[in-house]
Amino acid sequence: MRMTERITANGGTLTTNTPQETTPAAEEQRLRLIREEISRLVRDLPGPLTAVTAKIGDSQLEIVWAPPQAAASREIVWTEAAAPAAPAAPPVEETAKAVTAPLVGTFYRAPEPGSRPFVEVGDRIGAGQTIGIVEAMKLMNHVVSDWAGVVTEILADDATAVEFGQPLIRVEPDES
Amino acid sequence: MFRKILIANRGEIALRVARACRELGVPSVAVYSTADSRSAAVRYADETVHIGPPPVKQSYLNIPNIIEAALKCGADAIHPGYGFLSEDADFAEICRDNGITFIGPTPEVMHRIADKATVRGLMADAGLPVLPGSDGSVGTAAEAREIAAEIGFPLVVKAAAGGGGRGIAVVREAADLSAVFRETRATAQALFGDPSVYLERYLPSAAHVEAQILCDGYGTALHLGERDCSLQRRKQKLVEETPSPRLSEHQRAWLGEYAVTAARAVDYLGAGTVEFLADEEGRLTFMEINGRIQVEHPATEMATGVDIVTEQIRVAAGERLSWTQQDVTVRGVAIECRVNAEDPVRGFRPTPGPLTVFRPPAGPFTRVDSGFAEGDTVAAHYDSLLAKVIVWAPTRKEAIARLTRALEEFQVGSEQVATTIPLVRELLAQPAFLAGRHSTVFVDEFLAARAEPPA
Repeated sequence: MRMTERITANGGTLTTNTPQETTPAAEEQRLRLIREEISRLVRDLPGPLTAVTAKIGDSQLEIVWAPPQAAASREIVWTEAAAPAAPAAPPVEETAKAVTAPLVGTFYRAPEPGSRPFVEVGDRIGAGQTIGIVEAMKLMNHVVSDWAGVVTEILADDATAVEFGQPLIRVEPDES
Repeated sequence: MFRKILIANRGEIALRVARACRELGVPSVAVYSTADSRSAAVRYADETVHIGPPPVKQSYLNIPNIIEAALKCGADAIHPGYGFLSEDADFAEICRDNGITFIGPTPEVMHRIADKATVRGLMADAGLPVLPGSDGSVGTAAEAREIAAEIGFPLVVKAAAGGGGRGIAVVREAADLSAVFRETRATAQALFGDPSVYLERYLPSAAHVEAQILCDGYGTALHLGERDCSLQRRKQKLVEETPSPRLSEHQRAWLGEYAVTAARAVDYLGAGTVEFLADEEGRLTFMEINGRIQVEHPATEMATGVDIVTEQIRVAAGERLSWTQQDVTVRGVAIECRVNAEDPVRGFRPTPGPLTVFRPPAGPFTRVDSGFAEGDTVAAHYDSLLAKVIVWAPTRKEAIARLTRALEEFQVGSEQVATTIPLVRELLAQPAFLAGRHSTVFVDEFLAARAEPPA
């Protein structure tokens, strides 16, 4: 059984995928593995968990946890000046923050084709919430917002190639 | 020919490759870190992809991001330049798995030449002269002592996976061997992730002479003459020239023979370098094979008229070399000197900062390869190479005069950035260099002698 794992720095999302096996025994085995996996992850991961999803059909396990306090101000804010290749974004108010691509790959707005996008304009989101996925080298990397606030703009289209630091969505952070 | 070439490097070599792409009519893609977002290569390339923050592990060594960038742009080949991923066989394999051509040797050849202890044996079997030394890697200090007794002292302990002048230690007497052996193994593990070391006799006053090779997939293996890179500071090359001033015609012919034999023995493909040491009589012994384009390749280009980068790309695209051995002649003398953003007065400390004034030389038979323009900033994250100045002239004397003239013209004005230009000008005027008798330790001895207070 091949397992792929990806942990994003300073908290975030971890996804474990296993290819499909069909016998009931295999199903049972998979369920057991997933349970063990969850217990191990809950024990090992830093920070409190905010969501756990276990999907048996495609054996998908998803855990979202809050970033540790010390790392809360992770600096991946994109600056226009350093982006000759990025498309010019319309001017926005100074307070809005851009969530940028943490790696080069293909950006997906929804967990799977046809399903509801992770976020839409006007949605209220929390810090650490997944706003999309960047697929790179066949690995699904969840992109999370560093800020709690309201989504004001979607900057990258679904299923398009994105580069490191490219703004994906804009968030108007809550007053703190 | 390729549809599009991604350049997985930065600085002057990224620009050099992008220019070759332009001349071949192939669109180029420059990948860059946040620190290089306005570099000359980024300004020049047809497309650009931002691949990560300034630290090299997250950008220029970030294999997933580079592969994704190539796929995103539809690039069907990656030129690795030198350094970074250029000698990483695993990267070459990942390129292949993703349907991308790695412009360089095959991963199999890269693996073969990466282990210097193994290559030494292969070359000895092929008939190349090698220095007395161990047969492959040496595992224990006891084994090392046994072999050392046969080789004699001084000797060198070298990392099998080493390169760039690192992971090499000289042992002058038997009492030091065990300690140096252990230290070098630890260094090799730390630097290259492989503790394997081997032993070889040390030549105290040797010269560094290397042959440029170029091989296609149709059985043609060419040598393009040699480069003498003996003017070095702490094993880092400062000045490279072709032809070597210290080889006789007879020795030069042997060097060519050896280089082609070496290339065939490892089934080489593309551009590469076979390094030799030359003793005081010009006798050659094999050192190692470097499977990449070298920093100093322009010296050979100037003297032979062969565009090595273009040929390297053509060969990788499955074409035949456009030269035969008969067509290749080294005419006159070409000398390259590296200009580094380092302060010779302050222990060669790197001096990053903005280049307020940056006016490289020009004029007859003068070429400058640089990744900078006036107003650019030298980033602290990368190597200190500011520019390479290459000149050609009919004779060595005229070439040295021309290089001296060019370096006089070179203006770098900055509050922070110091350069090695004054030092190189001084070195070019030393009698030992003018006579072509300088060994690889000449610069270190010169600097040490100058640092001593006058008696």
